[in-house]
Amino acid sequence: MKLIRYAALVGILTTIAIGAMAPSPSWAVDRAEAEETARLLAKLLKAGRLVIEQNQLLIDDQQKGDKGFTPEVFEQQLVQEFRQQTGIDLSKLQSTPASLAVPPLAKELLPAFVLASKEVVRDAQVVINQRGIGYKNFIPATYGSQAAARFSKQSRVRLKQTTLGPRNPKNEPDDYEASVLKWLSSRPRAEAYVSELTDQGQTLRVVMPIYYVPACLTCHGEPKGDLDISGYPKEGHREGDLAGAITVTAPLSLR
Amino acid sequence: MVDYDRDSILSMPHRPRATLVVRSHERGATVPRARRLREWASLLLMAFMLQGCGLIVDAVQLVHPIATNELDAICARGQVRVGMAVEPFQPFVFPAIYTDEGLRVTGLDVELVREISAALSRRCGGTKPIVPTLQLIRFRNLFVELTEGNLDLFVSSISANVPAQGRIGLAYSSPYFDEGGISGITRQPDTAKRIGEYVRRSSTKTADAHAMAQAFSGLTVAVQEGTSAQFYAEANLTGIKLILCDSLPAAFESQNPPIDVILGKQPVLDYTVRRVRKNWQLLKLDNGKPLFLTHEHYAIVTDEESYRLRQFLNDLLFRLDESGRLTDMRQRWLEDLYAYPRRAATEGLPFAAEKMPQHYDQGQCRLADNRSR
Repeated sequence: MKLIRYAALVGILTTIAIGAMAPSPSWAVDRAEAEETARLLAKLLKAGRLVIEQNQLLIDDQQKGDKGFTPEVFEQQLVQEFRQQTGIDLSKLQSTPASLAVPPLAKELLPAFVLASKEVVRDAQVVINQRGIGYKNFIPATYGSQAAARFSKQSRVRLKQTTLGPRNPKNEPDDYEASVLKWLSSRPRAEAYVSELTDQGQTLRVVMPIYYVPACLTCHGEPKGDLDISGYPKEGHREGDLAGAITVTAPLSLR
Repeated sequence: MVDYDRDSILSMPHRPRATLVVRSHERGATVPRARRLREWASLLLMAFMLQGCGLIVDAVQLVHPIATNELDAICARGQVRVGMAVEPFQPFVFPAIYTDEGLRVTGLDVELVREISAALSRRCGGTKPIVPTLQLIRFRNLFVELTEGNLDLFVSSISANVPAQGRIGLAYSSPYFDEGGISGITRQPDTAKRIGEYVRRSSTKTADAHAMAQAFSGLTVAVQEGTSAQFYAEANLTGIKLILCDSLPAAFESQNPPIDVILGKQPVLDYTVRRVRKNWQLLKLDNGKPLFLTHEHYAIVTDEESYRLRQFLNDLLFRLDESGRLTDMRQRWLEDLYAYPRRAATEGLPFAAEKMPQHYDQGQCRLADNRSR
């Protein structure tokens, strides 16, 4: 078993080392496009999580009824955050300069993810705008789960949040994800991501790590074992620890 | 000449008081004028004699009994329409929250609704389960929605034994929770001490009505409007300044005037001071037991004419009680250590978001009118 895991890790390391190098010219272009699209989708989900995190105090403000955190406001902030992180302006996607090299597949899927995210924020309005109720559990993780699920339903690309020992059983990593997460957890924080072909080269999998920032530690930090506001035991993590990953699974025969 | 469309009446699945279909008689044009006048006159006379729509409907039911009862209607619909208060009555109904699965509501009453739906699915015997359609609406509107036929039933730790004005057309199931009662909380140790002192001096050593009236006299007491606590306070507590609040959270925040005591459902208040408002304390007797002003039990509310549904619910509650399931539910929600968002994610029920007030507000508090109490 250990040998298999070792082999898997070696495989991952090799994949990272060769990065976007094309093992076979027959699907080289497709893979590069799918990989960049997957990377951007993961970045966009991360940006959405960040926007929720930045508005957490507003969302949980029990003194205020209508928070004004509408799907449109969320979209504006998401577009702004994504532009800061990637330089890509989602509002002008079709006229993006060639230097930024947004693949056609990404031009198709990024707006679809924004739409799915807006639907999530729209659905949550009745909960967000309650006055007199503080914590509403509309947090980066629940937003992310629903946005990823909605997007995945409408697309052949599957987005998922995962971690080792997740609070939500649906976020349990599969064997591949678990191997990558274990490997990532033993390494220092980096902005790198892991990319690999599976299913005899038919499917591309991209795993982008997420690390804990101070805002996360209210629920996931110390003291370990104490219940947080949502009733889960705190994990005792520290800033910079691996929180989990966003995984993107894309069949290479997308178009 | 008018004619009641019998088929329409018989096929009405769940609106026994729906408007009857009236149509012109096909041969109307050939009926002699004098005869038509006589018939109109007869109808007018009948309408005069049967004053009130209910009597007409009853008369029609007598001639043509409506074939479908409310249980069959639920089976045909594949849904049971359940009302719940949007104001939290934790641990019976927690505030609606967002989870990995979307919008959810949870609590003891939600678990009960799951049991009801499962039992209805068995009763209906179809291949598809009966889906509970939860409507989170304001407490005061639950009664209106039920009597207007928009709900099959509602639950929200509703007291079945504290008399209340204006609750007509409703009926209660057997109790599913019989350890309830009206109690009070305060954040002022002196007030708790003062009330305890009165109870101690009382000959019965319990909370008799006279001792309670004296104990609370001069205090500013808040209750949620429309709940059994309001009806109890109005009937029994003379000399208090009664404050009516739209919700329990509103009572906690009321500053003007400052509240001495909040009266409400003991299990709800107990949960609240243990988990949420830890600077408030439950009024207790010397032996450490809660001070009950009266006991009450909680039941499911249905339309008074929903006999079949009520019989079904009573039978289900009997079986849940006999099997120990109700005891387990009480234990899980009232005594175990848990956090509701976690339970909402794993066992909560979705609800009809469009029925929920868009900007639910905990509301305000105001002084009750000056009627003598």
